[in-house]
Amino acid sequence: MSTRRDFLKAALGSSAVVALGAAAPRFLVEAAARESNAQGETVLVVVQLSGGNDGINTVVPYGDDVYYRNRFTLALEKDKLHKLDDYHGLHPSLGGFAKLVDERRLAIVQGVGYANPNRSHFESMDIWHTARREPQGRSVGWLGRYLDAAAKARDASAPASDLSALHLGGGQYPLALAALDVVAPSIRSVDQFKLQDGGDRRLREAIEKLSATARPGDDDLLSFVQSSTAAALASSRRLQDALGKYSPAAKYPGTKLAQSLSTVAQLIDAGMATRIYYVSLDGFDTHSEQKDAHASLLAELGDAVKAFVDDLAGHHHADRVLVMSFSEFGRRVRENASRGTDHGAAAPMFLAGGKVKPGLVGKHPSMTDLDDGDLKHHTDFRQVYAAVLKNWLGWSPAEILGGEYAPADVLA
Amino acid sequence: MNLNTVDPAWAWSAFEPSGESPWNRAAAAHLFRRVGFGASSRELDEAVARPPDEVARQLVRGERASPSVARDFEALADTVAASNNPEGLAAWWLHRMLHTTDPALEKFTLFWHGHFATSAAKVREADLMLAQNRMFRTRACGPFEKLVQAVSRDPAMLLYLDSATNRKVRPNENYAREVMELFCLGLDNYTERDIQQTARAFTGWEVRNGKFKFNAFQHDTREKTIFGQRGNFDGDEAVRIILAQPAAARFIALKLFRFYVCDEPAPRPELVEPLATMLRENDFQIGPVVERIAGSQLFFSRLARGRKVRGPVDLAMNVLKALETTTNTKRLFSDLSALGQGVLYPPNVKGWDGGRAWLNSSTLLGRANLVRRLVDDSKDRFAGGDLAALVEKHANSPTQAVDWLAELLLAAPIGDEARNTLAEVAQNKDKPRGCANLVHALATLPEFQLG
Repeated sequence: MSTRRDFLKAALGSSAVVALGAAAPRFLVEAAARESNAQGETVLVVVQLSGGNDGINTVVPYGDDVYYRNRFTLALEKDKLHKLDDYHGLHPSLGGFAKLVDERRLAIVQGVGYANPNRSHFESMDIWHTARREPQGRSVGWLGRYLDAAAKARDASAPASDLSALHLGGGQYPLALAALDVVAPSIRSVDQFKLQDGGDRRLREAIEKLSATARPGDDDLLSFVQSSTAAALASSRRLQDALGKYSPAAKYPGTKLAQSLSTVAQLIDAGMATRIYYVSLDGFDTHSEQKDAHASLLAELGDAVKAFVDDLAGHHHADRVLVMSFSEFGRRVRENASRGTDHGAAAPMFLAGGKVKPGLVGKHPSMTDLDDGDLKHHTDFRQVYAAVLKNWLGWSPAEILGGEYAPADVLA
Repeated sequence: MNLNTVDPAWAWSAFEPSGESPWNRAAAAHLFRRVGFGASSRELDEAVARPPDEVARQLVRGERASPSVARDFEALADTVAASNNPEGLAAWWLHRMLHTTDPALEKFTLFWHGHFATSAAKVREADLMLAQNRMFRTRACGPFEKLVQAVSRDPAMLLYLDSATNRKVRPNENYAREVMELFCLGLDNYTERDIQQTARAFTGWEVRNGKFKFNAFQHDTREKTIFGQRGNFDGDEAVRIILAQPAAARFIALKLFRFYVCDEPAPRPELVEPLATMLRENDFQIGPVVERIAGSQLFFSRLARGRKVRGPVDLAMNVLKALETTTNTKRLFSDLSALGQGVLYPPNVKGWDGGRAWLNSSTLLGRANLVRRLVDDSKDRFAGGDLAALVEKHANSPTQAVDWLAELLLAAPIGDEARNTLAEVAQNKDKPRGCANLVHALATLPEFQLG
């Protein structure tokens, strides 16, 4: 029984649940909430690659001479690539991803973009964040829209307990999470989830006692705050216990991304009801001297995600966690005069986890049939979002994306 | 008695202290919290020595405000804005809220900042944010029409809503829409055509070099039809027509009700109607309506006391004022942002939703952690001494300390069991630590979140 929705469906039949909506009997809702905490709902972890990742040097079309002619200093040596077939190879730094491919835990979605690509970081990132090509309606993000819709479907009197989404690691707050009603907090570290009681056990016990007692039932607002406070203290304790005892099932590198993902793994394992985590890796705007910088970024990405998925698998969560990485655009086919690359268009996305459709999804875009020097997309990014919404988060994509997009075939 | 059955005539009649609802320190603390940002023990003593209507009136009207203090704040703001650091300006505003001699005016200004939400994250220019902040303060209590007209010319607002240019060939509907939906009428009280026509009235209203400019070449001088009225209207006239809609006074009255009286449940229309009527008959003057609210039976009744989830700014200010201490407001700004209320950085054009939306497991813990930090921060001073000395001045036992602090910091009563638990927390060989723990434990109480 993976979600409350499923539970209610099973208990009442799906049409009955739709008809009941928020008025579903309280005991069923509560039972479903308990169920979901125990079993765990599906979780989405977004990894944003900021700056515009050079997709061509990430999933390398080494079988194409055009690649070598256009990347006169940046072309990667054939022998060092992690070959996927006789045309595609992963960047030498992506050993982590190569292993995930072998383990059937990584999907590489090729040629993702959108029509009339915008090459401004700011504009294009907004487009990806909001799933809106035009500036209208860009005050909320696509995940924010989902959070609002999901919150509306929940019982309004249920305590504000665990967070439905969380931005981790600092940096700019992603517009993707901006919602009208739901606030997804942004935290630098899990310390913000800890009651700063200075390790004073007596104080901690007193504090837990103070909010444990139910307030008079006729005071709806106070009852709400009381149950929310008790839930917050409980989840903070659960978290502290988990952080104390948690032993990762994989060795994480010391990088910032790896540390953020290791925190996410602990939160998932602690049984938090958070369904969306958002982390970023910045530095992909490689206009000059790209080679070493890009190699180190991809190593950070691949090694962190590999450790994360291994860790989740070791704690039996791999099948309910999906990692999705994207960047606001790819880069130009032809390298520039500064041994770098300029802003481009279509690029690959990566999906990792136990339930992805493994390997390459879709063809590498043509290296010669270009749009103003850039690769043409064949898969709209909203098709990938649609798959995630429909098949992972269990929500109707059209409502969120503002139109019909055929879900990309990326989940098993 | 509940909000659905309360008699509107009784609700808005002048507060008459009674055995059930006396004029005491707790009632005065409620008044100061809602209309301002809380009060010290001494201010409460002074208040209860005078009649409640006089205290409420003086507070709302800012009769005890010092012009020289206000001038000092303005001079400081100019200096801060000159460095073009909007976060510094936010810290300045928090500093002003804490130390002002006219707290009701800062509360009004915060109300309008949330109503006409504009974020420095997009505007980026501290001087434009400051100009807007000053405009809210100047026009806060006066006729709402003048305020909306000033907002319509406000460069920060126009930049925020991407309305810095509005040309007659392709009128920008963004501002016209928000004027109706969020600023004046609320959803379902206008048509798309009203928006399109109003957008035409605002054509030629531009921002050039950080200043409002009327560009006559871009103004559409043809006839417009707004809410059935026809004429060659400009933006100011459009605002006048919008505010003449019956929904306008109700919309503003309801928003004031939610801000000053209670979050929930939604009041029935009859209860808000007397306030709306007052607006209509009184040139949309805001000050007198708030004065009426703050001096009313309903305001001092249990239907209003502790019936709001207080926002992070209110909560922090209450603690600082009650404990007669101060803090680094730059750091405070960043803490309040993490709790969801970064002043000058509202989340979107709707402003802060308030109510239950303030609370989640991260913010509930964060609120208690903030109070702990404010109490522990060695740079802070409590009425010139340490916290224990301040508490001992007013309380002779742990139980008295609990009661004294509860009166200052809590809007809702707590039970005997909680009182005993808190007294045990206060009981500590290390007195300063006992006091700090007591304030910290109070800040984790569900009752502490209500204001």
